[in-house]
Formats: sequence, structure tokens, C-alpha cells
Amino acid sequence: MNDTNEINSALSPGSYFFTGNEAAAEGAIAAGCRYYAGYPITPSSEIMERMSQRLRDVSGVFMQMEDEIASICSVVGASWSGAKSMTATSGPGFSLMQEAIGYGVFTETPLVIVDIQRAGPCTGQATKVGSGDLMQAKWGSHGDYQIIALSPWSVQEMYDQTIDAFNLSEQYRVPVFVMSDEAVGHLRERMDISPTLRVTNRYKKSGAAPFGTEEKDGVPPMPSFGEGENITVTGSTHNEFGVRKTDDPNVQEKLVGRLNHKILNNREEIVQSESYYMDDADVIVIAYGFTARSAFFAVDQLRKTGKKAGLLRLKTIWPFADKLITEIGRKGKKLFVPEMNSGQVYGEIRKYADCEVIPYHQTNGRIIHPKDIMQHIERIL
Amino acid sequence: MSNVKQVRLIGFGGQGVVLAGTILAHSAIKDGRWVAGSSAYGAQARGGTARYDVIVAEDQIKFPHMISTDILIAFSQKAYDESLGQLSQENALVIYDDLLVKPITLDKADQIGVPATDRAIKDLGNKQAANMVMLAAAAVLTGLTSQTSLVKALEENSAARFLEINRKALALGQEIGLNIKKNINRKE
Amino acid sequence: MARDLDAYLRQEVKSTPFCPGCGHGILMNIILRAIADLQLDMKNILFVSGIGCAAWIPSPHFNGDTLHTLHGRAIAFATGAKMANPKLKVIVISGDGDLTSIGGNHLIHAARRNTNLTVICANNMIYGMTGGQVASTSPLGAVTATTGEGNPYQPFDLCRLVLGAGAEYAARFSVTQPLVLMAAIKKALNMETFTFIEALSPCPTQFGRRNQADSSVQMLKALMQDCVTREQAAKMDKVVLKTKIITGEFSHE
Repeated sequence: MNDTNEINSALSPGSYFFTGNEAAAEGAIAAGCRYYAGYPITPSSEIMERMSQRLRDVSGVFMQMEDEIASICSVVGASWSGAKSMTATSGPGFSLMQEAIGYGVFTETPLVIVDIQRAGPCTGQATKVGSGDLMQAKWGSHGDYQIIALSPWSVQEMYDQTIDAFNLSEQYRVPVFVMSDEAVGHLRERMDISPTLRVTNRYKKSGAAPFGTEEKDGVPPMPSFGEGENITVTGSTHNEFGVRKTDDPNVQEKLVGRLNHKILNNREEIVQSESYYMDDADVIVIAYGFTARSAFFAVDQLRKTGKKAGLLRLKTIWPFADKLITEIGRKGKKLFVPEMNSGQVYGEIRKYADCEVIPYHQTNGRIIHPKDIMQHIERIL
Repeated sequence: MSNVKQVRLIGFGGQGVVLAGTILAHSAIKDGRWVAGSSAYGAQARGGTARYDVIVAEDQIKFPHMISTDILIAFSQKAYDESLGQLSQENALVIYDDLLVKPITLDKADQIGVPATDRAIKDLGNKQAANMVMLAAAAVLTGLTSQTSLVKALEENSAARFLEINRKALALGQEIGLNIKKNINRKE
Repeated sequence: MARDLDAYLRQEVKSTPFCPGCGHGILMNIILRAIADLQLDMKNILFVSGIGCAAWIPSPHFNGDTLHTLHGRAIAFATGAKMANPKLKVIVISGDGDLTSIGGNHLIHAARRNTNLTVICANNMIYGMTGGQVASTSPLGAVTATTGEGNPYQPFDLCRLVLGAGAEYAARFSVTQPLVLMAAIKKALNMETFTFIEALSPCPTQFGRRNQADSSVQMLKALMQDCVTREQAAKMDKVVLKTKIITGEFSHE
């Protein structure tokens, strides 16, 4: 098992006025990120720019690579060299990274990817907001796998969730995504830095198999290059010592099974959400990312006029909050799901909620305004 | 100050509107308030109008963008004319530079002219400092932030070579604001 | 003779996966001999490879840390590993298609940055593992699974490519020139810069059988005939030289 410890924050405690992108960089530095590789792309470039300065302060390594493929691949290499590592990107860059994300999953490499989502598909509206990459985060690389994806709604949470992402990636040895969006990335607001934070350290055990474990959490210890452990890492199907076994159906089944189970069996611990005015709500809005800010305002305004609206905010997108949605669905309430895509989370909610679920899609590169949410809820009520 | 104030600073490029907004935001944070800010992004920033929206609140901010303008701080006629349509229906306040803006009659909003550019030229010999004069005067007139915090925020965000003139501008703005306030109170 | 290299090989791996007559086994031997001669500590070496036959030279056979990565991306992975732990000696060993076609961008950028990596490109001039398709290194006119009437394009001159991109040292030798090839690898391993070794390695299975080299012996002989040193090349007729491969060390002159 990993140990965690409390360390001092990288910045002095107090209130700051950061953008979401700056906060993500600060969260990474605080969490112990010492390797960043990236390639310029709107609207995420400010993360890279800040990391180029901040990594110098902490004797880390910053690399502006030749493309996003090189960025994510070098992040995997750096992680195996023992550095907590990260990249950030948007739309097209996220697409380019998908093959290597599969490599990260299959070799159980801790790493963090911040995706500042913009309106796609393709080049789309490069400077405008969207949240159309959620299914890509889940299924973008080929094959069958599980990852962890978080969804921040504020500058504060860009900081907090980037720290969480590093901790989760070390705990579960899996790539973790901070699925933010342009509206949060470019939002500038107050955020507070506390004196200390908790960080999860890499679990090391000399001589132990790095790709297999009988332990309940399903997460093996991870050595680093240069420690004399004679590590073999491969993206091919491998046994618990990393040796290729591509002809053995049992090795493949056991490996893929464990990689999926180590996330799904621990999803109660991983999945986080927040709820507001839920108890007596007739309509519950389920939202995430910047849209949850609009929904929060809308629900609050409706409550002021006596209308019973509530909000469930998903802080974790993957693994999905299946049990929570099932429970809410049993209460027979109406669910309203506004999204800046064509219903990517709506579809998941439909799978688990046995009640009326009403989607609201907006894919025009603009945020969903609180007024739109209020109007829809009033119609539904 | 009521719980949430949506403030729009608006003028033309080169007047230091974004710097004024940034200093206001940092300053209000120093007062312990919650703040969200956004400037015009993209092509707008290179056009004529420069804008900075600041939301200042006593509690955590639910929705961080402006829904309507509670306090409009207008640095130019064009900015003033463009922004009246977004004023809040109740208790809106318009503060304008009285050398650059000819106000029209408004039913639902109070309006205060501040001689920011005029006094910046006459007292400081520097038209560029009008943004800080305006900011400090507006801070007094609205209670958005304290003078102490403004000075601290200035020190952290101003280029060293402009620090001295900007400090003087804040002091001048405070004096102007207090005088206007005194006159308003006398009338009432 | 091979026994003295046992310590450099993973004991549980009993044989190489290469076809009879493949040059990669010779190259494997030459690389390990270079490491043994220099008395480099295997604990401190990371071998990075991509996808393809040559990517199996180090992984999982070499008894150090091995990182068997994605097709084309070995140098990108190696860059991260090296930058995060500069104490590691990082050696990239992969094929021509992997390093110079799908991975060509990473190759030239690592050369430009002068990242401290030794890149050994096993060049068999064809995509061997996938069934013998034409490569960016296949000679003009070569018959392959996708150029039945002969390759219409000229191949990369890999050494000139990396030198042009900024590499300080590049060398090209064939596995039929084992001693000079080993000397070049040793020289590269002793340098603290980006270094590039192009090791010509015959592929009788995919290249030879399509191009009138009926046996692996014939292929090796042909390679020995085709390879000329730079000194020999300087005295040769230009028309004849076009059919030859110039081997030697290359740097900025």
C-alpha cells in the first residue's frame, strides 16, 4: 500500500487570484510534479507556460516537445524514472495522445493529463468552451480499460483536483485525467492555499513483481529505472514480471481483468460528488464542470422563489457514480442534465436512473447560461 | 456592501482599464472578499474597447460571470453608451469620467461623474494615471474595497517605474471620492 | 565465447526470437560486447525500443531495465526517462521503420536538442515483422510486399539526416563489419551527446527472398560486397558508387 504524508504547500498560504490554468500548474507543483512535457495548444497553453517557470523553481524538468505524442510518451518515460509527471492539452492534442494513454494504462504508469476541453470535433472552435471529450477520456484508446477522470468547477478545484489526480494516479497506478474546460481554465477567481496538503507516495517493494499482485486493491508496487530492479516494461501482454506473453489467453485475461477491477472495485472510494438542496427537490439538476456553476446559481435563484430544485454535482466522471444515480433514480424524481456536448453523461445517467431523465444539450461554443437552466426547470416543474 | 456586486470597468484600449480591474480584484481579496474576474478575450482585446468585469462578494461566488451590471465604471463615451443596456434593474450605479463622458438621463440608476482624467492632468501632469484616480474614487463611492488594500494590490501589480505616480493617483482618487461623497451626503 | 556475455542476458530468456539469417542476433552480440568492453554497469543502463523485430533486441533479453514502447515513439519515451533521471545511460535500439518513418519527427528533434541518448538503428531496409512492406530506407527499385514493380522512391540517408538535424556523431556500418561497428558503438556510448549508429542488418525472410538473395549466406555476401568505406568511395566511379553503401563515421566537417 502507498503511504501518504502531509507536506507544506509550495506557495505560501493565503488567497490568490489565479486562472484555472495557473491553478492547475500550482496544484501540480504542490503535489510533487517534477516533470512536465507539452506542446502549445489553445486553450491550455498557460498551464505549460507556468510549468516552464515553476519547475525551474523546484529543480524539476520542463520539456516543450515536438508534438503531443512525444509529450505524453516522454511523460510515461519520466514516470518510470521516478518523477511525478504530467502533461496538459486540449482537443486535437488529446486525440493525438490516445495511443500512449493506452500504453500508460497497460503498463500501470502513474501520470496526470489535464484536458482543457474546447468546442470540437476537429479544430472546431479553438478558443471556445465545450465538454465533448468525456467519452474520449473513457474509451479513446483502443481496447478495454478503466481510467479515472475528474471534473473541476472552479479555480480552487483546478488546484485541489490536480493534487487529487496525482495522488490517485500513484495510489492506483493509472493515468488520471483532469477533464476541465475552457471556461474554468480561463476563469480567474480567488482561490485559497492552505499551509499543508496530503500527498500519496509511490509504493515500492524491492524484488516484488511490478505487474501483478495478490493484494486486495489489485495495485502492485512500482520500481523505478536505475534502481537495479531489472525492470521489463512493455505495452504487449505481459506476465507479472513484465515479460511478453502474447500467446497465452490466461495471461491476457488475468491482466486486463485486474486492470479493470483495480478501478471498478475501488470506485466507492474514488467517486466524489456534492449535492445542494437535494432532500425535498422535485427536479434535480445533474451537472459537472463549468455548467455546474450555472446550475448552482439557477437552483439557488429558483429556491428563492420557492421552487424545489436541487443540484447533484459530479466531481468524478470516471469511474461513473452508478450507485448514487441508481439511488436517486429510485426516489422517482425528475433529473435534468445540462451539458456542453450531445449528452455524453446523460447517456450514463439513463443507464442507471429508473426515472425521468431530461437532457439539455448546447454545442455552440458558449457556456450554458443560468437563465437557460432556470427556464427549463420551470417548464419541467 | 450587499452580498454580491457585479462591476464592469470599461473604456478604450490604452486607458489601463484591465490593470484597474486587476488591482480592484486583488484588493478586494485582500479585504477577505471573494472575487471573480474576466477580461475581454480574443479579437475584442485588440479592437477599440477594453473591458474588465469583476464580481465582488462576501461569500463564495456561485456563478462567476456577469449577469447584469450593478456598478458600471465608464472611461469613455463609447464604453458608456454600449454598457447601459446591461445595467441591473435595481440599485445600479454608474460612475463615469466627467471629461470624457456626457451622461444621458437614466431612470433606474444613480450616476456620479468623477473628474479622473481632468485631475490626473491638472494635479499629476499625467493623463495615464486617470485609471488609478478613477479606481480609488470608485472604491470610496461604492465600498468595494479599502484604500489600504488598493495600495497593497497596486504595489504587487504595478510596474516599478509607474509605482510612484500610481500611488499618488490612488491618493488623489481617494480625496476626490471623499469630497464627492461629502457633497452627496450634504444634498441628502 | 558467448558464455562470457551470460551476465548481460536475462537468464529466463533462453533464445532469441529472430529468423535464421537475421542480422539482429549479431547486432545484439556486438552491442553487449561494446557494453562489456567499456565495463558499463547494466544496473545503470536503460534500453528503450519501439515496435518491430529490432525492438526485441533489448526487450526482454538484456539484463538491465528495458522499456518496450509504442511504434515510433522510443526516442520520446527515452527523452522523458533520461531527463527525469540524468544518471541513467539511455540506449535506444529499434528498427528503421520505427525510428525513421513513423518516429522520424522524434529522431530529428532529439538530434536537434542534442539529448544525451545513443540511438542504434537496426536498418534492414524493410518492414519485417508486418510482412515485408516497403520502408523509407528501402533501396530504389527494391521489390517488397507493397512495391511489386520495385520501389519508386529513393531511401533516406539516415546519417546525413541526423547530422543535418544537429547530431554531433553518426556512424554507419554493417553487421558484416563487426569490429568497426562495435568500435563506433563504444565511441558513441562514451560521448555525452546525441549519437546515432546505423547498423545495416540483413532480413533474408522479407527482403532477401523478394530480391534475388536466395539464402542468408548470399545476403550476407551481398552486403559485404555493397558496403564500401569512405576512403574506398572517394576513389570510386560515381555510377558504380550509386549501387554501393558508404560506411564509416560521419560528423560535421
